[in-house]
Amino acid sequence: MPIAFEQVSHIYSDGTPFRYQALYDIDLNLKEGKITAVIGQTGSGKSTLVQHLNALLLPSSGTVYVLDRKIEAGTRPKGLKSLRKDVGLVFQFPEYQLFEETVLKDVSFGPKNFGVSEEDAAKKSLEVLKLVGIDPSYAERSPLELSGGQKRRVAIAGILAMDPSVLVLDEPTAGLDPQGTIEMMKLFKRLNQEMHKTILIVTHDMEQVYNYCDEVVVMEHGKVKLQQGVDEFFSHPEQCIELHILPPDIIRMKTMLREKGFRIGDEIRDVQALAKCIARQVKHG
Amino acid sequence: MGNFTLGRYMPLDSPVHKMDPRAKIGAMLIVMIAVFFPSGWTGYGILFVIAAGMILLSRLSFKFIWKSMKPMMFMMLFLMVINCFVIKTGTLVLTLGSFTIYSDALLQTAYIVVRLLLMIMITTCLTATTKPLDMTLGIEDLLSPFRKIGVPAHEIAMLISIALRFIPDLIEETQKIMKAQESRGVDLKEGKMMERIMAILSLIVPLFVSAFQRADDLANAMEARGYAPGETRTRYKVLKMHRRDYILLLGAACVLACMIWLSYFR
Amino acid sequence: MSVIEVKDLTFSYDGETPAVQGVSFTVEKGSYTTLIGHNGSGKSTVAKLLAGLLEKEKGTIVIDSMELNDENLHALRRRIGIVFQNPDNQFIGSTVRDDIAFGLENHCVPQPDMDGIIEEFAARTGMTAYLNTEPTHLSGGQKQRVAIAGVLAMKPEILIFDEATSMLDPQGKDEIKRVIMELHKESGLTIVSITHDVDEVTGSDAVIVLDQGKVAMTGTPREIFAQSDRLKKMHLELPFALQLSEQLKKHGVSTGDEITMEGVVEALCRLHLNR
Repeated sequence: MPIAFEQVSHIYSDGTPFRYQALYDIDLNLKEGKITAVIGQTGSGKSTLVQHLNALLLPSSGTVYVLDRKIEAGTRPKGLKSLRKDVGLVFQFPEYQLFEETVLKDVSFGPKNFGVSEEDAAKKSLEVLKLVGIDPSYAERSPLELSGGQKRRVAIAGILAMDPSVLVLDEPTAGLDPQGTIEMMKLFKRLNQEMHKTILIVTHDMEQVYNYCDEVVVMEHGKVKLQQGVDEFFSHPEQCIELHILPPDIIRMKTMLREKGFRIGDEIRDVQALAKCIARQVKHG
Repeated sequence: MGNFTLGRYMPLDSPVHKMDPRAKIGAMLIVMIAVFFPSGWTGYGILFVIAAGMILLSRLSFKFIWKSMKPMMFMMLFLMVINCFVIKTGTLVLTLGSFTIYSDALLQTAYIVVRLLLMIMITTCLTATTKPLDMTLGIEDLLSPFRKIGVPAHEIAMLISIALRFIPDLIEETQKIMKAQESRGVDLKEGKMMERIMAILSLIVPLFVSAFQRADDLANAMEARGYAPGETRTRYKVLKMHRRDYILLLGAACVLACMIWLSYFR
Repeated sequence: MSVIEVKDLTFSYDGETPAVQGVSFTVEKGSYTTLIGHNGSGKSTVAKLLAGLLEKEKGTIVIDSMELNDENLHALRRRIGIVFQNPDNQFIGSTVRDDIAFGLENHCVPQPDMDGIIEEFAARTGMTAYLNTEPTHLSGGQKQRVAIAGVLAMKPEILIFDEATSMLDPQGKDEIKRVIMELHKESGLTIVSITHDVDEVTGSDAVIVLDQGKVAMTGTPREIFAQSDRLKKMHLELPFALQLSEQLKKHGVSTGDEITMEGVVEALCRLHLNR
């Protein structure tokens, strides 16, 4: 079942002097089973957009379709609780949501809210903790004692424990070091490929978009500017410049080499293939 | 939040907005004292006209004042009920079965209500026309003579201004945490007792953790920029009294004198 | 000439496990030095020790041939400015103007001089148009520019940036990197920047690598990146140009010790033409 936005607008504090329209008539279809990146400058409406997916925000006008459910402007959505279970939303800096005495209790908090028994919740929690790379020996520790990177993993485990079929992540790697970022992105890729989760990532990092995502949605001034496959998106350098986006290193390198007369095929996606291609040309002309 | 107007600053351009916060605080205190004298209906009438005049001069709307009073309505009603039960002097006004209401009860309530209304009008004239930061500067200056007897005037002002600076940030933070926990199935509006306690905990614990983190960062930032409590420092914002400020204080003193005269020497 | 000399610095938060241990390094006057290492390697602790915000357990810190101790702490703080990671938590004033004034007040700058200083440094960081703006109406990058202006107003000789761009969006990152670069070039300030940004490291004069609370490597970016195996072991990121050079070497193509993309492309062009 697809995720779709139909003519969705969102206005904050309507009818007050602080009125602010964040989304304008959004039409958008998101493919199931893919990793979609939502990019755009700060204030372009990315966060507002994704908060509609689990009905934290309701459209001011228009309709959102999420997994068989219809969220319409002006009506109170039915089955809100099951929607929140099925669409897991991870906010920016999610470590700030940890509050329980132990890591295990905190991760079990979500599933228990959705009516899973204590026992099953604990079992599921240990499973997801392993998945995010937290050793089971940490289960009884206080989440506040952990390092920043570990806290982030525990918080994400807390959402995964609800077993959502759609996972929405708002800048999940902000503030992590490069190594932590790579591990995190690999985790999302695994969740997508092995467990067939549909994933939506709000990000500013083009390396992530290029290396881990399938589709790109570009937001600008509360509108969807563009929706494209990742490879197509980065195959137009002039389009990136127009959108004020610095392409990933490999794309920039390819562009520079092409300008100098090297022949670099579109199919080259990684540094190994690029090196092979260049070496052949340098040696044989 | 949007409807709560009591104590809120209104960024308007009026002669009262331009006045020195110290003069305004001082005048407010003097007039407050005046309100407490038993000056009778003539006195209250005069005070009411003066307060209304100040509101007009501040370019505030009476709707704004009315909104500020709303939260007090319940309190006033409660007061009247209590008075009706307790005070049984004066003439009998109304009999409802075995329950009687006497004139003094209504009169007493009226006195208190009028004083309360006057106080709200006067304090609103101050808070709605004075920026929070100017207010703290004013408080600091007014308290500084008491520094000799150990009142940390500057520290108090610093504390208030930092609290004011971070209130919007904390409100935003609270909303963010609420949303994050709602995404984990927390229902802040309904549920069993135990669930609601957990819901509140899931909000308060993270809020405290983040507030401590913030405080720690802030302390570092302040220290790094050379702040040390108790050390002498210069001040960027210097308050200056103008003629209008002295006139305000003089006017306030006249009002007080007038009320004293009405109460005791007439 | 070195402006910072750190010798055998040791510190722990809990009195048991050291966060930094036996750290020694020097920073040259007027240099742009980057301090790298994964999260938890002790970078921020070193920065806070340098700024006198933490009290060392062992070792010495010499700033401009003056040893940091309790007596001269206040005086030395004026000479070392530090800009932190979180833009919100270091904005103290209620407007940009008030925030820049905060440090001046602490260092007893006479009131009549303040406006001139505030305006000068707001201009240097491009914040003149926002002098009376409240922090809630500023972007992350703008708040960090105010933080820089506030620190600069105290006329320090050394500026420390503790991951000052890591919480910003790409626009904010660019803004701040540009401001730092300009300051370094125009006023010859010594910059010590804690960063994860490989491009920033590549463009710096000197690099200090921390690992598990100890100094693992020091040298120029070229010297550091020449030991790519060690960096990989410490899970540190390599510049893309270097990753490509290493792959090219496997195919028998050498691009020398270039660490920038432009450098590698040029080297490749030379090789290509020589054929």
